[in-house]
Amino acid sequence: MDTASPRHAKAAEAFLRDEENADWHNETLWFVRSKRDRAAQSLPEWEDLREQASQIKLHSLSKLDDYLIQLEENARQNGVIVHWAANADEHNRIVLDIMRKHKATKIVKSKSMLTEECHLNPYLIKEGIEVIDTDLGERIIQLRNEPPSHIVMPAIHLKKRHIGDLFHLHLGTDAGADDPQYLTEAARIHLRQKFLLADVAITGVNFAIAETGGFVVCTNEGNADLGAHLAKVHIACMGIEKVIPKAEHLGVFLRLLARSATGQATTTYSSHFRKPAPGQEMHLVLVDNGRTRQLASPDFRNSLKCIRCGACMNTCPVYRRSGGHSYHTAVAGPIGSILAPNIDMKEYADLPFASTLCGSCTNVCPVKIDIHQQLYKWRQVLGEAGAVEPTKKIGMTGMDVLFSHPRLYRFAGRAGRWFMQKFPSLANKSSLNPWAIHRDMPKPPAQSFRDWYAQQNQKDNG
Amino acid sequence: MAETTTRDTILAAIRQGKPDLHPLPETIGFAPTITPENLVEAFMAMVKTNGGQAIRVTSLSEAHAFLVQEYDLTLPILSHVPGLDISNFTPAAELRLLDDLHLVVLEGKVGVAENAAIWLDEAAIGIRALPFISLNLSLVLSEKNLVGNMHEAYRLIDTHTGFGTFIAGPSKTADIEQSLVIGAHGSKTLTVFLLP
Ligand code: SF4
Repeated sequence: MDTASPRHAKAAEAFLRDEENADWHNETLWFVRSKRDRAAQSLPEWEDLREQASQIKLHSLSKLDDYLIQLEENARQNGVIVHWAANADEHNRIVLDIMRKHKATKIVKSKSMLTEECHLNPYLIKEGIEVIDTDLGERIIQLRNEPPSHIVMPAIHLKKRHIGDLFHLHLGTDAGADDPQYLTEAARIHLRQKFLLADVAITGVNFAIAETGGFVVCTNEGNADLGAHLAKVHIACMGIEKVIPKAEHLGVFLRLLARSATGQATTTYSSHFRKPAPGQEMHLVLVDNGRTRQLASPDFRNSLKCIRCGACMNTCPVYRRSGGHSYHTAVAGPIGSILAPNIDMKEYADLPFASTLCGSCTNVCPVKIDIHQQLYKWRQVLGEAGAVEPTKKIGMTGMDVLFSHPRLYRFAGRAGRWFMQKFPSLANKSSLNPWAIHRDMPKPPAQSFRDWYAQQNQKDNG
Repeated sequence: MAETTTRDTILAAIRQGKPDLHPLPETIGFAPTITPENLVEAFMAMVKTNGGQAIRVTSLSEAHAFLVQEYDLTLPILSHVPGLDISNFTPAAELRLLDDLHLVVLEGKVGVAENAAIWLDEAAIGIRALPFISLNLSLVLSEKNLVGNMHEAYRLIDTHTGFGTFIAGPSKTADIEQSLVIGAHGSKTLTVFLLP
């Protein structure tokens, strides 16, 4: 296997060149993270709630086949047409077939990371179908021909002046106008027309319920509902890991989702779809696309518990300073860096390294995924598979040697302190030490903790 | 035929790779921390946080009087609340015509104090698009049907209907530089009337 190119690092460098924008990105996401903290602290049972969510998800994964069959049976009985797709191609073809059957040419979509993962839009557009993303953030980046940079806030990398210019070009808003209220109103009018004329609506699925055969879709804008209720055909696409046993379990997840995502107590609309409305048609597409492979791996299956709240991204010091696009995958940030190498190990070998392994992601995850530990495990798997670029590998091998030889480790520490004291400018020189780009190395302590501890011991004993 | 194969392949792969049976927690959910006497106050505060307004009334006619004062009744208005007869609009089969709706009034079944989400079932909504397509939305709810948290709500609502939804405020977005804008695609306002 060839070694992966460090695409994330290069793209992050480009992102950081616009310093003002990069700072704004960092601070805004930290603000969202702080709102999440306040929302979490408002519930005394927060930690127990996370534990329950994690247990329910683990249980669901341990009976995933049973629950999918139960979901399928109940949905069929409710008049929903159920499809299974092994991969992205199959998923896209199923959607196209439904469009063709209805001679449909216009589709409105509400944000669905699964359809992003499957690259549904370019596929349908090539077949001559008009695809309109209706979540405001998604529509913005669709007009810019970009992928989303965040799973909950797709256009978080853009400032309002960018959007003002974009809408001036495409929606005819006044030149230079950048008031969010005004721009949102323009988008509302533009998208209303699309909702009213669409033949088919596609939505994602936040949770599917085996017991009822129904599924829940959560939005703040109401776009999923407007699309699904006005079109003759509603296609809901879900990863197979989204199924939970019973409706009562929704209480646990709905309390966690919005609080973790944006710090809101709940999303504005949490809609429970179960049967098609009279005269309408409802489809449910169950997609694997690598999920069964992830399930079969004890090290990584926990990542399938993810409810796509985005909290791990908002808190990640690397994501906040590198921007979602630097991850070159549909789902960016810490969780995306676990999911992507499962789909293509070579293409995404750089992503598990786009992390400080500080563990902040793991601490905020509402379903208690051991995110940073899985990233660490991926590094080892990728190293063994030879998919790691040489400079990182040398560093890692060096660290392995150091950590497994305590005497050498102690010497290296002393040598490092000596080196940094004598030649601070050399240690800070980024061509020799990539870590020093955008960072000043800390002043080295005069004494190591180990030496200090030994001295204290001597003092105490003496 | 192809689809059957895919289904079987996926199910077989799951059986092969799934973890050992992990039990469900014995009890699901938590007791509410909001005390019964604080339900109304907590609920009303959350409606406001969510960008809506909550009004305590003693009767439907009081709600009616408020709506008459607040809205232009010559515009298309539809109420599905028995006893609150201000409809002047008859929906046709063509759903697109609903786009004209200025105000829709519906009856909520359950209100949740911790997040001000209000449950509407298919019977109360009638045409599913109504609460989402109308420019303004008003919900009527009895204080007796307030609960503390979502776990309690799920014990009371029927999730076996064709469609049902929790609505917590007017439609909103923060997709442009994180500035909160009320009124994305759905209703631009939400007024909740709390009846005894
Ligand atoms: S991994 Fe956890 S924190 Fe990250 S998006 Fe998924 S559920 Fe949220």
